[in-house]
Amino acid sequence: MSRSEHRFLEIVDLRKSFGEGEARQDVLRGVNFNVKKGEFCVLLGPSGSGKSTLLNIIGGIDKQDSGYVAIDGDKLEHMDEKQITMYRRLHLGYVFQMYNLIPNLNVKENIEVGAYLSGHPLDTEEVLTTLGLQDHKYKYPNQLSGGQQQRVSIGRAVVKNPDILMCDEPTGALDYKTSKEILALIEDCNTKYGTTVIMVTHNEAISRMADHVIRLRDGVVRHDIINENKISASELEW
Amino acid sequence: MKNPLIKRIPKELASDWRKYLVIIIFMVVMIGVISGMYVGHDSMLKAIDAGREELIIEDGSFELSKEASLALVSAIESGERADVRQYFIDEGIREADEEVAKAVEENLDTTVRAEIEAAVRAQCAANGITDEEMITGQIDAAMETRYDDAIAQARTSDEYQKAVEEAYEEAHEAVIEAVDEKWEETADEYGLNEEFEAVPVTLYENFYHNESEDNDNDGTEDATIRLFSSDAPVNKASFLEGRAPKDSYEIAIDRMHADNVGVSVGDTITVSGSEFKVVGLLSYVNYLTLHESNTDLMFDAFGFDVGMVTPDAFEALPSRLHYNYAYLYDTKPAEQVAQADDADHFLKMLITQTLVHDNEIEDYVPEYLRQASNFAPSDIDGDTTGTSILCYILIAVIAFVFAITISNTIEKEASVIGTLRASGYTKREMIVHYMTMPVIVTLIGAIVGNLLGYTALRQVALDLYYNSYSMPACKATFSQEGLIKTTIIPLVLMFLINLFVIVKKLQLSPLKFLRKDLRKTRRSKARRIPAWSFLRRFRLRVILQNMSNYAVLVFGVIFIELMLCFAFGLPDSLSHYSKNAPEMMFADYQYILTSSKDAEGDLIETSEPSAERFSNVSLKYTKDNNALFSGRGSGGDESVGVYGIIDDSAYITLPDDLEKDEIFISTAFRDKFELREGDEIHLHEEYANKSYTFTVRGVSEYDGGIAAFMKNNSFNEVFDKDEDAFSGYLSRNELTDIDEKNIAVVITQEDITKVTNQLMHSMGQFFGVFKIALVVLSAALIYLLAKIIIERNEKSISMVKILGFRNGEIASLYILPTAIVVTICTLIGFVCGYFLMIWIFRVFMMQMDGYFAFYMSPGSMALSMIYLLLGYVFVSVIDFIRIKRIPTDEALKNMDA
Repeated sequence: MSRSEHRFLEIVDLRKSFGEGEARQDVLRGVNFNVKKGEFCVLLGPSGSGKSTLLNIIGGIDKQDSGYVAIDGDKLEHMDEKQITMYRRLHLGYVFQMYNLIPNLNVKENIEVGAYLSGHPLDTEEVLTTLGLQDHKYKYPNQLSGGQQQRVSIGRAVVKNPDILMCDEPTGALDYKTSKEILALIEDCNTKYGTTVIMVTHNEAISRMADHVIRLRDGVVRHDIINENKISASELEW
Repeated sequence: MKNPLIKRIPKELASDWRKYLVIIIFMVVMIGVISGMYVGHDSMLKAIDAGREELIIEDGSFELSKEASLALVSAIESGERADVRQYFIDEGIREADEEVAKAVEENLDTTVRAEIEAAVRAQCAANGITDEEMITGQIDAAMETRYDDAIAQARTSDEYQKAVEEAYEEAHEAVIEAVDEKWEETADEYGLNEEFEAVPVTLYENFYHNESEDNDNDGTEDATIRLFSSDAPVNKASFLEGRAPKDSYEIAIDRMHADNVGVSVGDTITVSGSEFKVVGLLSYVNYLTLHESNTDLMFDAFGFDVGMVTPDAFEALPSRLHYNYAYLYDTKPAEQVAQADDADHFLKMLITQTLVHDNEIEDYVPEYLRQASNFAPSDIDGDTTGTSILCYILIAVIAFVFAITISNTIEKEASVIGTLRASGYTKREMIVHYMTMPVIVTLIGAIVGNLLGYTALRQVALDLYYNSYSMPACKATFSQEGLIKTTIIPLVLMFLINLFVIVKKLQLSPLKFLRKDLRKTRRSKARRIPAWSFLRRFRLRVILQNMSNYAVLVFGVIFIELMLCFAFGLPDSLSHYSKNAPEMMFADYQYILTSSKDAEGDLIETSEPSAERFSNVSLKYTKDNNALFSGRGSGGDESVGVYGIIDDSAYITLPDDLEKDEIFISTAFRDKFELREGDEIHLHEEYANKSYTFTVRGVSEYDGGIAAFMKNNSFNEVFDKDEDAFSGYLSRNELTDIDEKNIAVVITQEDITKVTNQLMHSMGQFFGVFKIALVVLSAALIYLLAKIIIERNEKSISMVKILGFRNGEIASLYILPTAIVVTICTLIGFVCGYFLMIWIFRVFMMQMDGYFAFYMSPGSMALSMIYLLLGYVFVSVIDFIRIKRIPTDEALKNMDA
C-alpha cells in the first residue's frame, strides 16, 4: 500500500470549540489520526466526546478552528464553499441516525436522488436488490419501517459509489435485530465496493467489526487501534 | 440524468391540489383580467387611431359669434397675427375722423351763419332799419338765399382747408399717441410681446345646430342633439349599424346614446318638432365620449347626442347655427410640447384676427385637449394601467404567500435539505428545485390567463368600453405589450419574490439544516409576554410565531379593504351627489341668454315673479396639474362661473358691505382648492391676458359647481359692463315667455346630476362584480395563509388534542389569533382606505373640471368591512374542519417520515 493509500484521510491537530468566554466549550482539542483507503473506521466515544463534530468536519459540513483534514492530500481548508460541496458530491456518502428521506418520493426515487449526484453511480436496481428493497421500491417512506427507511438512506448514500461513507449513529434509532441488519449492509458496501467507511457510534460492540477504532473522550483521541481481530456484523452481540 | 427531485413537483401538486388550485385560479383571474384589458385596449386604440386618420380628425376647432368673412378665413389660414396696433389706430382714426368732420361742419355752420347775420345787420343799420322783428326776418331770408353759396365758398377758402387739415392731423396724432400710450397694456392683453410663430392651417366649416331631441316622440325633450351635415369634410363618422342619411327625413345618431335611450335603426325620433327616421348608428371620430362642452366634468350619453343629417335637412334646422370651424395644421406638430406650442400660437393669432375682423371667439379647443376625443383613449389607458397595477400588487401578494408556503416547506424539510446538501447537492440545485413550483404555477396561470384574456375577458373589456363610450367597431388585435406584461411581469414578480425568500432561507449551512436550526440569529431567551391568562399567552405566541404570515395578511387585507372602500365609496359618492343635487342648486333654473336685448333691441323680460336678473362671466382659476392622473379633464385651468347678483337677491345672499374686489365662493370651489376666507384669488380670462384679483369674503352653499358671487354693480364695474347689462335670469319656475332663440343655455338640476348618472351607468355593473371579486380574493388570501399557520402547527394541534383539549378550544387557540389580526387589519385597512380614497379623489378631481367630494355612507362603511369578514368566516369554517381532521397520532409520527 502506498503512502497516499495509508493516509487516504488525514486528520491533523483538529481543534474546535463552541461558545465564547465562560461559555466556551472545547469540543475537539487536537485530534490526529489517519484512515486508509477502504478501511472500516469507527469513531467511538460517549455523548459529548466530539465524535459527531469530528465527522461533520471530515464531511465538510462544519469547520474546524485549527488543524486540517486532507483527503488524498487535498486539504479541505483550502477549498471554498463550492469546492467543498463538490468534494461532498464526488467523494462522500452520508447516513444519519434520522433517515431524512424525501416523503413524496418513493424508495427507488429516493435512491436516485443520490445516484444523480455521482458521475459513476452504481446501478439503482442492483443497490435495491443488495439492500433487500426490491419489493418495496415503489413504496413511500411513510409506508416503511424504521429499518427499511434506514436501508433506503444507506442506498441513497451508497448508490453514489462514494469514496467515503460517513455514518452518524446509523443504528441509533433502531432495534437490535434491525441494527445488525443495517450494520451488515454497511459492511457489505465496505467489502463489496471497497468504500471507506467512517462510522460514529457510542456502541462499544460495533467497534469489533471495524478495521480501525478511534476512541475519543473529551475532544482528544484516547486510543487509535487497528483491529486485527475484526468480526462480521452478524457475529456482533450487545 | 435528470434531477430526480423534479419528480416531486407533480406529486406536490397532486397532494396539495386545493392550495395550488386556489393559487392557480388566483393567477389565472389576475393574468386573465390584465390580458383581457390589454387585448381590449390594443384592439380599441388601434381602431381609434385608424379612425382618426381615415375620418380626418381636426387638429383643433373654434366657434365664432358670427360667420367668418372670407378675409378672416384667409387671415386665419395664414397663421399670422393681425397688426393690432394698426387696427387700433385705424379704428381710432375712423372714430376721430367722424368727430372731426362733425366738429368742422358744426364750426363752419356757426361761422357762416354768424357772417350772414352780421352782414344783414350791417345792411339794416345802413338802411336805418331798427325793428328787430324785421331784422330777424331779413336774416332768415338771407340765410335761405345765401347760406348754401356761403358754405360752398367757405369750403373752398384756403383758410378753411388749412384749418380742416390741421384738425385731422391733430386728431390723428392724438389717436396714435393714445394707442401708443396704452400700447404696453394692449400688447400684454393680446400677448403680443410673447414669442410667436405663425402656424398655417386649413380651415373647414364644421357648423352645427344644437336641437332638441325627443326620442320617444311624446312631445317632451329627452336630450340635446348636436347635428352636423353629412357632407362635412372633416370630423367624419364611422357607422356601426345602418348607413348615412340620404334623404332629408333621415338621420343617423350616436350608437352609445341610441343604446342608452333604446333607439334602433328604423325608429323615428323627433328633432325640434320634425320627425326623422333613424337610418344609422354612428361614432363620430371627435365624439368618442359625448361631452357637450369641453369643460364638462363628465360626458353625458343620455342627455346629449350627436347626429348627422343631409345638407338640405341641416339648412332647414330651426335653432341658431353654431359657427364652428375645424382646422388642420399644414405641418402637423410631432409631439405634445409642439402641439401645445402650436395651439398657443394659433390662439394668439385667432384672438388678434377675430379682433381686427370684427368677430368674437365663442369657444376654442385644440384637439389634444378635446375631452370628447381624448377622454376615452386616456380612460382606456388609465383603466388598463390601473387594473394592471392592482393585479400586479395582488400577484405580488400571492407571490409572498407562495414564498411563505415554500419557506414553511423548507422548514418542514430542513433535515432532508441538510442531508441532500451534505450529500453534495449544491445550494443552486436546491434553489432551482424550490423555485420550480412557483414558476410552473405562474406559467400555468399565464397560459390559461392569456387564453381567457384573448377570448372571454377581451369581450368583457370591450363591452365595458362599448357600454360607456361611442367607440368605433374594432377587431381583436394581438397585443405584444399585453403578452409581455401578462407573462413576463407576473413571472418576474413571482420569481424575484420567491427567489429572495428562498435564497435567504437556503443560505444556512447543511449542518444548521440537519439540526433544524433555521434561525440566523437565535434569541437567547424566549420573548417575554405579559402575565395574561394561559390561553391569551398561547394565542399571542401563535401570532408571534407566524409573524411573516401575518405581515403578508396585514398587507393583503389592508389592500383589499382599500379596494372595497373604492368599490363602496364611489357609487355612494355618486348617489350622494345625485340625491343632494336639488339642495345644491341655488336656483332651480338658470337661464343664460344670448344677449340681454332681443332682435328689436328691447330688453328681454319675463313675467315670472320669481325670476331675477343676474350677470355671469366664465373665468379661469390656475390649477397645478399633477402627474398622478393625466389626460383627463379639459387639460386647462379650472373654469369658474363668476356671478353678478342683484341686491337683496332671493337666491344668493351677499352682505351689503361686500366690496368691489370681494367675492363669495361656492362650497365646491372652497373644497376643491381648499380656500379660506381672506384668501386672495386670481381669476384670468381664457382668451386674453387679463386677470382679476379678488378676496374671498365668504362661502355660499353651492356644491353644484365652481362659482364665485359678487354684487351686480361691482360686477358691471369690474368687467366693464353697462349699468343695465345682464346675462340671464335665475328662477324657481320655468320661464315660458322668453323666445327660445334668445336662450343660450338653461341649467337645471339634471345638468348637475348628469355627471353622476353617466358614471353610475358606466360603472354600476362593474362595482357589483368588483365587490364580489374582492371578497373572493380576500377569502383566498386568508385561506392560504391560515392553512400555512395550521399546517405549521399540526403536530402541536395533535399534541394538545392528546392532552385533552377540545376542538373548540383548539380553534380558539389557532383560529382566534387570525380572527383578531384579520379584524384589526380590516379596521386599519378601512381607515387607511377611507382617507386614501378621499385623497385620491381630491387629486383626481384636481385634474378634472368641476368637483364632487368622496362620500361613504355609514352603511357602506360597515358593509365594506363585513364583506371582508364574511369571507374570513367562510375560511374559518374550513379551518375548523381542518383542525378537526388532524389525527391525534400526528404528534407521534416519526418526525422525518
